[in-house]
Amino acid sequence: MENGIEHIEAYFGKEVSAEESRRFEQAILEDPAFAEEVAFYLSAKQAARDLAEVEKKERFLQLYRQEAPSRPVRTMARAGWVAIAAVVFGALLFSWYLYQKPAAPGKLANRYIEQHWQTLGVSMSSREDSIQTGLRLYNEGKWPEALKQFEIMIRSGNTGPAIKKYAGIVTLRLKDYDKALLYFKQLAAYPLYANPGLFYQALTLMERNQSGDSENAKQLLQQIVKNDLEEKETALEWLRKL
Amino acid sequence: MDRTLTAGLLQGGIHKRRAEEQLFTSYAYFIKEGIKKYSLQEEDAFDAYSDSVLSAIEKITNGSFESRSSLKTYLYQIFHNKCVDLLRKKTTNKYSVHKTLSIKESLFDISDAARSVIQRLVDKSDWAALRQKLDVLGDNCRKALLLWADGHSDQEIATFIDYKTAAVAKTSRIRCLEKLRQLYKAP
Repeated sequence: MENGIEHIEAYFGKEVSAEESRRFEQAILEDPAFAEEVAFYLSAKQAARDLAEVEKKERFLQLYRQEAPSRPVRTMARAGWVAIAAVVFGALLFSWYLYQKPAAPGKLANRYIEQHWQTLGVSMSSREDSIQTGLRLYNEGKWPEALKQFEIMIRSGNTGPAIKKYAGIVTLRLKDYDKALLYFKQLAAYPLYANPGLFYQALTLMERNQSGDSENAKQLLQQIVKNDLEEKETALEWLRKL
Repeated sequence: MDRTLTAGLLQGGIHKRRAEEQLFTSYAYFIKEGIKKYSLQEEDAFDAYSDSVLSAIEKITNGSFESRSSLKTYLYQIFHNKCVDLLRKKTTNKYSVHKTLSIKESLFDISDAARSVIQRLVDKSDWAALRQKLDVLGDNCRKALLLWADGHSDQEIATFIDYKTAAVAKTSRIRCLEKLRQLYKAP
């Protein structure tokens, strides 16, 4: 038997008969608790949609800033041409300086890791599974224990992409670069819609920064841009800076 | 280009996401026009443009865009209206317009009596609390509910979040919705 939410979803998805539809609407009128459940379903969907749109706008803002990096966020009111010319000249000079002086790959990689992998998302489910345990250990700074947890899962036959991703991240944080590369190569082999495996390999090479690593990382980043893969925008930015 | 963009938006999954970004970047120069023609601050022109893109995406994905005009003309019409609204200072809440429209759309086929009961209850919703509870729901739950609300199928949610099947995605998503309800109703 369907639970309340499934029942409501079936109604709004137009998956019910005319008779069921009539009963559904009658229940709204006669059962205040049911009416509240329906209203909550619609409100929750709308609130989630609002957040999804805010996230989309943030993505758009990033794209916009990439297209026009030197543009100020707020326009200056009626600034004099001389001042504008001076700012433009200064910006050009600064861009030229940046262009002449490539950023260190390790620094870029480090910044990414600090921004994205300080902690990893843990679900609030009351039932803590093995992945959640591994993530919790990682977030508590117990990286070797977290890796052990993930590797036990891999050895016991869990070969999903998520586990390879997490194992790779922890291994990278532990600076075992060869092993991290192996996990990220395995991740890249999964046929996912959004697969960051190739990007993580480039990141690992940049972080390791041994002879030839930077060139290999650049080739991977170019591949990401060319094939429009996950993290394309970051890859583009790094290619400009490297 | 219109056909490719529309097809991408309708295809869903990662194709939809890429088409959204492509639509945004293709006509992002409208923002400059908003600054020049309507004397808007860049931030306001950006808001008007990104809201226009979101509105166009919604119309395309729910089938209301009938391709009578080009996407560019269609998007520009929406953008122009939003700029004028901004000038008249009518648009004050970034969530308000969409909220009313989407819920009204969902209630379109329901009987008048039932609709007014639901509408009254929805109007009492504490939107800030709902959004705040969504934020503390846990990464996967939040992601699953946002993807669902954005019109992605359970199969697409399964692919994005690495659930084994669409059925698992559906069960998890419904569980997340129930958890959200408990959090929201908790004193």
